[in-house]
Amino acid sequence: MDSKASYALLQEIFRALRSIRTGIILLILLGLASATGTLILQRPLTDPERLENAYDPETLAWLDRLGLTDVFHSWWFVALMTLLALNIILASLERFPTAWRFFTRPYLRPGPHFQATLPLQEEISIRNAEMGLQAAERVFRRLGWKPQRVGKNGDWSLYIERHRVARLAPYVVHASLLLILAGGIVDGVWGWRGFVALRQNEQTNRIERRDGTEQLLPFTIRCDDAGQENYPDGTPRRWWTNLTVLEDGREVLRKEIEVNDPLVYRGLRFFQSSYGSTGTLAKLTVLATAAQAPQHTVTAELFPDRPVALDEATTVRVTAFVPDFIVVGNQIRTRSQEPNNPAIQLLVESTSGDTWKVWLFPRFPDFSHSGNAPYTFQVRDLQMGYFTGLQVAYEPGQWAVWAGCLLMGLGLLMTFYMVHTRFWVVPVSDSHGRQALWVGASASKNRDEFLERFRRLMELIRDELARQQPQAVVPEDAVVVRS
Amino acid sequence: MSCGAEVHKGGIMGRTTTVIEVGPTRNTLLVLVSLAALLLLLTPLFSVLQGGAVFTEANLLYGALVFYGAAMALYLGFALVGNERYVRFASAATWAGFVLNTLAAGHRWYIAGRPPFANLYEMLLSVVWTLALLTLFVERRYGVRVIGTVTMPLAVLGVLLMQLMPSEVRPLVPALQSTWLHIHVTLAMLGYAACAVSFALALMFLIQDQVRTETFLAATSGLVATIYLGIASRFDASGGLRVAAWDVNAGREIFIARGEPLMVVLPGLGWMFFLVLVAVLTPLGLYLWAVWNKQESLLPWANRAFLIGLLVQGFGLAAFVLRAREGMYASPQAAGLFPTSLSASPFLLTGMVSSIAASLLYLLLWWRREALERMLPSAETLDRLIYKSIGIAFPLLTLMIAAGAYWANRTWGSYWSWDPKETWALITWLVYAGYLHMRITRGWRGRRAALFAIVGFAVVLFTFFGVTYLLPGLHAYA
Repeated sequence: MDSKASYALLQEIFRALRSIRTGIILLILLGLASATGTLILQRPLTDPERLENAYDPETLAWLDRLGLTDVFHSWWFVALMTLLALNIILASLERFPTAWRFFTRPYLRPGPHFQATLPLQEEISIRNAEMGLQAAERVFRRLGWKPQRVGKNGDWSLYIERHRVARLAPYVVHASLLLILAGGIVDGVWGWRGFVALRQNEQTNRIERRDGTEQLLPFTIRCDDAGQENYPDGTPRRWWTNLTVLEDGREVLRKEIEVNDPLVYRGLRFFQSSYGSTGTLAKLTVLATAAQAPQHTVTAELFPDRPVALDEATTVRVTAFVPDFIVVGNQIRTRSQEPNNPAIQLLVESTSGDTWKVWLFPRFPDFSHSGNAPYTFQVRDLQMGYFTGLQVAYEPGQWAVWAGCLLMGLGLLMTFYMVHTRFWVVPVSDSHGRQALWVGASASKNRDEFLERFRRLMELIRDELARQQPQAVVPEDAVVVRS
Repeated sequence: MSCGAEVHKGGIMGRTTTVIEVGPTRNTLLVLVSLAALLLLLTPLFSVLQGGAVFTEANLLYGALVFYGAAMALYLGFALVGNERYVRFASAATWAGFVLNTLAAGHRWYIAGRPPFANLYEMLLSVVWTLALLTLFVERRYGVRVIGTVTMPLAVLGVLLMQLMPSEVRPLVPALQSTWLHIHVTLAMLGYAACAVSFALALMFLIQDQVRTETFLAATSGLVATIYLGIASRFDASGGLRVAAWDVNAGREIFIARGEPLMVVLPGLGWMFFLVLVAVLTPLGLYLWAVWNKQESLLPWANRAFLIGLLVQGFGLAAFVLRAREGMYASPQAAGLFPTSLSASPFLLTGMVSSIAASLLYLLLWWRREALERMLPSAETLDRLIYKSIGIAFPLLTLMIAAGAYWANRTWGSYWSWDPKETWALITWLVYAGYLHMRITRGWRGRRAALFAIVGFAVVLFTFFGVTYLLPGLHAYA
């Protein structure tokens, strides 16, 4: 292929890429692809098992091959997005210079051809050019517009405009869309998400990422405390975790996080994501009553495997804990990690060397039996060990996304609710020497309503001309028309 | 005395205004509706006065229902006979219903200590409120007086549906306690309401654009048939209809596994709805046959079949209400008999009632097309209004998506996760973006643009209802 033909081909591709039709087709394709992604089960979210149940192996293999089980991360979806971005950029580049000229070099004085072809125009007969111009100026000033004198001495015309910036609105919207996409790309490439579960007083600098790899943090995070608050009906109202950030062993930041209110440090955000029981005992408060002397009672706070003295000769400690007790066959098992039917085994030891094993069932006090131990026990309070689950996210691109969203809101308001309106007022005279004021107007949208406004304006100028006598003074803010 | 209609054409913008003068004898409907409303309001009032509490949410909602019902009757009456006075009273009734609706929503807001957006009941409360507000606004600002003919039946339907739903104030789970959620939902509702208005305007445009009445027949039949196809998919092998069982004491469905509700079979109703499906498919079939074979003479038969279909739909609804209201039925999943209730099948019921409402609207068009054409704004004005309403809807949808993303980011640490609701919100946005580009840069006007607006609203409906009930995702709260 010679260079001329390949150049022509390139031109052709270029033209196709930047056309609105291509843009619309891409919008439709993206819509269809997205819909497909919601109708077919998607890989990262669905368990492989569920996918295997839903589709037969051959179909699943094909779906996988075509990227249909992970549409939003497949190469062709990314390609579609890239093409759309390219289309927006090229289409904007093609049209932007015109809009920019509109913006930077307003058309101040209409030429004869423009005057002849402008759809919205009217002539009002006047006796004197300056008088007509001044009447028009007064009307515009009264309506809150700023008329601008254009021309040279003795040959004046008026230019009045509002919201010139509306010409740039579509570019603001499209630029904001690109900004959002850019933020998304940054996060897709450099961002990551992970999860970490911490028990009380546990600290770590290793996070398990979504993709299974491990992420080392440049600092350490510690869970000081965490908890759950409930509504009266038992449904959770609030989860919270007290977090401390440590750098080189020094505390640098403390924060109580809750759902909707993460901790942010060095661009990393830690979210309260889950809270639950570890199935272990954290603290047990028991009331011990001496078997021989019921008036002698001791309230003891027990922590796992730490003996506590009840009197000079007797100690007690927790040796086993089952959160949800059940006996299957001959074995003690637990049904869950929740303290639904806790069972506690205590070991009472005497200095004489005697030991007694005591089983406590707080839910079924009658089943508790102390054998012939020197004390009987009643459970007063039971605190379970818990973990707090934290989502960790690093999204360096999110600020571009939010900036893009704000910019898009602004751009759309400009697009739909700002109209670039222009008026030109030029004194003209016909071949018979009759003087008239030529008034032309144009609006970038809402033309029907603008027509009505134009008519009202004409009435006002006519009234003004009829009512007032002119003052032949040239205002000082007159400008010279550009060549 | 006959109703003399006089049309003033003109105005600077070429807007068509219609003035219809009506004699004093045409007030029968007004009297009837007022009497019915009065009766409906007074009967429970005595028992309420004895009981003490007057301004409870249920009472306020009942009052709103009565007024919305009166407004619906009067708007429909206006559309039928063109009596100007009906509209004034209809507006007044809408206002009254709107005030009561506001009080009910405000009451709930006060009790719950948060805006009423947390479950389907509260969403409907707010949606109906927005609908009434928009009706009053569009009527006043743009003079589209027949808009109530479409929106008021929807409002009545919404309030009726609310009566079937669990209405107790439930506390919010932690993830939903966020100002951003309220902003997100408010924007969504306003945006979707604006889409609904653009849809209603697009339908009116098609009427003014001389689309054949029979085309509307085909479209209505198609919609109705789709709804009944959905209902008939609950057909049980025994000839019954599967509906969810209902735990009467707890006031909710019975689940046998996570996400798998216990179903019971209403005997005989499966065949009944199969019959309804055949009846509503017949006019569509006749229409297609007539168009295919170019036999114009068959078209009146399609209309007659449509009337029969409507009648059969009425029977179907009555049979369903009688059977599903209460009673014990066998279940294919477990031995024994289980209760059900109308509350267990709100969407089946909505489907039936809305297809009957859609059929009635078609009948209105069929019988009174000329009067409607005189009452509606010109096609040109409607075309512009469609564009304007989408011009309102599109920024709202954009900000709604942004607010939702911001909320998700604060809650889960991710602003976009391609869950079905998010994705469909994006698809909705893409459709309207397509509309705007077609209109602004390629100069699409008229019928194509109106059809685009209709497709857009269909996507909105799917995003709002379809995704929640057909596709699983994060938005599982409502």
